Amino acid sequence: MANATQNFYELYRNTSIGQSLAETLDNLISSRQIEPQLAMRVMATFDQNVAAVLGDKVKARCTFKGHLDTYRFCDEVWTFIIKDVNFKMEQNHLEKAERVKIVACQSKEKVGA
Amino acid sequence: MDPNGTSISHPANVQEVQEFASNYHQAPWFPAENAGMAKKEVKTVDSDMSNGAVAPPAAVEAPSTADTSIHASGIVPLLQNIVATVNLDTRLDLKTIALHARNAEYNPKRFAAVIMRIREPKTTALIFASGKMVVTGAKSEDDSKLASRKYARIIQKLGFNAKFSEFKIQNIVGSCDIKFPIRLEGLASRHHMFSSYEPELFPGLIYRMMKPKIVLLIFVSGKIVLTGAKVREEIYQAFELIYPVLSDFRKT
Repeated sequence: MANATQNFYELYRNTSIGQSLAETLDNLISSRQIEPQLAMRVMATFDQNVAAVLGDKVKARCTFKGHLDTYRFCDEVWTFIIKDVNFKMEQNHLEKAERVKIVACQSKEKVGA
Repeated sequence: MDPNGTSISHPANVQEVQEFASNYHQAPWFPAENAGMAKKEVKTVDSDMSNGAVAPPAAVEAPSTADTSIHASGIVPLLQNIVATVNLDTRLDLKTIALHARNAEYNPKRFAAVIMRIREPKTTALIFASGKMVVTGAKSEDDSKLASRKYARIIQKLGFNAKFSEFKIQNIVGSCDIKFPIRLEGLASRHHMFSSYEPELFPGLIYRMMKPKIVLLIFVSGKIVLTGAKVREEIYQAFELIYPVLSDFRKT
C-alpha cells in the first residue's frame, strides 16, 4: 500500500534487494550504528527510487503467456494467479513456471488523480 | 451494465405504443388470439416449405430434433443468454466477499456490486450489499438456477447467512438463422406499427411483437435475435409467428 506521508508503494520491499536492504538496516540498528528512524527513511527512499528506476531505467522486456486461474480486484489492487506460464525474455531466452502470482497497483500518476 | 441482458435501448414513443395497441388486432398478418387459427396459419407455411416454395432445406437448423408441433418452421431458436435474480435475504459486506472469494471484482467507485464469475456453468454474477444478486450468461434455465445456487453457496462459505430465495428468470435471449436475406424496408413499411428500422443508427430492424411481448432484432442476413422472454416458449412462439412474415419479405 502507499506510504501515508509520501505515497509510494511498499510493494518492492519483498524483493530480494529489498529484503537484503532491510536485513542490513536491522543489523545496523542492533549494533547501534544507526537509529530506527533513519532506517525507516532509508526504506522510504528505497520505495521511491525502486519505482523510479523500474519505470525509467529498466529497458528489458519480456512477454509471457499462460492460463488465468483466478483474479481479484479489490482496494484498487489487481491480483492474478496464472498457471503454466511461459516467459519469453530477450535473446530468445525462455523460462517456464507452474504458477505465477501478479499483484498490480495503480500507477503513481493515477493515485493522485 | 444492462441488467436485462438486452442491448436494445430504443426510446419508446408513448403515442406510438398506444396507436400500436389499438391497431394491433387489425394487423392484417396477425392470426388473432385464437390459438387454433394461429396454428392453421403456421401450418400453411409448413406445407409451402415442403414444396420447397418458401424455404430451402438449408433453412432447417435441427431437422432431427425439431418438434414440428412447436417448431412448425423446422428451425429452433437457440437460447443465448438467461438473466435471473435471486434474493440471498441477508446484508452482505462486499469487501469481505471481494477479498476472500476467487474471481471477484469490486470497485465501489464505479459500480456498487461485486462482479463474480464461475467457469461451470460459465456465468457472471452481480452481488449487491442488500443481498440481491443478478446472474447472467447461462444458456439454459437449469444452468441459470445451478449457477445461482453455486454463487449462493460461495457466499455461505464466506460466513454469511445466505438463503436461496425468490429465484426468478427475468429475461431470455434467443437467436437463429433463417438462412435467407430479408427486405427490411418492405417489412418496416408494412409492419410500421411494430417496426423501427433506422439503418443509419442500427443495421437491424427492431420489431416489437405484442403477444407474446417479445422484441426481435431482424437483420438483412436472415439472422434473428429474440429477447424479452420470461419463458423459452415465448421465444419459440414469437419466432413461429414472425417466420411466415419473414418468408413474405424474402429478398430475391
